[in-house]
Amino acid sequence: MDVNLLFKIAGIGIIVAVLHQILSKAGREDQAMMTTLAGMIIVLTIVIKEISELFQTVRTVFNL
Amino acid sequence: MEIIKIIGVGFITLIVTIMLKQYRKEFAFLAILMGGAIILFLSLDTLTGIIDFVRSLNENYNNAFISILLKITGISILTEYAVSICKDSGESSIANKIDFGGKIIVISMSIPVISTALESLTKLLP
Repeated sequence: MDVNLLFKIAGIGIIVAVLHQILSKAGREDQAMMTTLAGMIIVLTIVIKEISELFQTVRTVFNL
Repeated sequence: MEIIKIIGVGFITLIVTIMLKQYRKEFAFLAILMGGAIILFLSLDTLTGIIDFVRSLNENYNNAFISILLKITGISILTEYAVSICKDSGESSIANKIDFGGKIIVISMSIPVISTALESLTKLLP
């Protein structure tokens, strides 16, 4: 739960965007879509882990 | 200086979101989600102090409604977290649905409070 997670997300996002551009320019639309989806899933797993940790903390704090 | 950290994380999230918004909108959403979670985490530490104080109040007044009050506060914090993110990314209909769900849950939790209040009222009246 630190700021470098944010930078990790930014990095992956930029890389995926650049890859998408390159692949779509090279005429491989489907592979571009695949890389975007893969990047999306990686970032999603990171974010979901942190969000579940947050919800768990809020639950214990307010004993919901 | 807790507030400096919160503002710092907020600005970093803002920069990351703006940067990602040009290329891929969905990554911007994920960055907002993460930034919001980090800021909530930072403010939760100070919040636990307040809640311990409220709990200590509960000891000597042993009123059941304080625990309900805490639960409602927790629910509203999470609801507001989700609603503001949905509004931010332009989907106000989803935000309204989440808001609606949150209100229903809060009302359902406050039914015992309302019934006790009504009972005490009827006792007061002649």
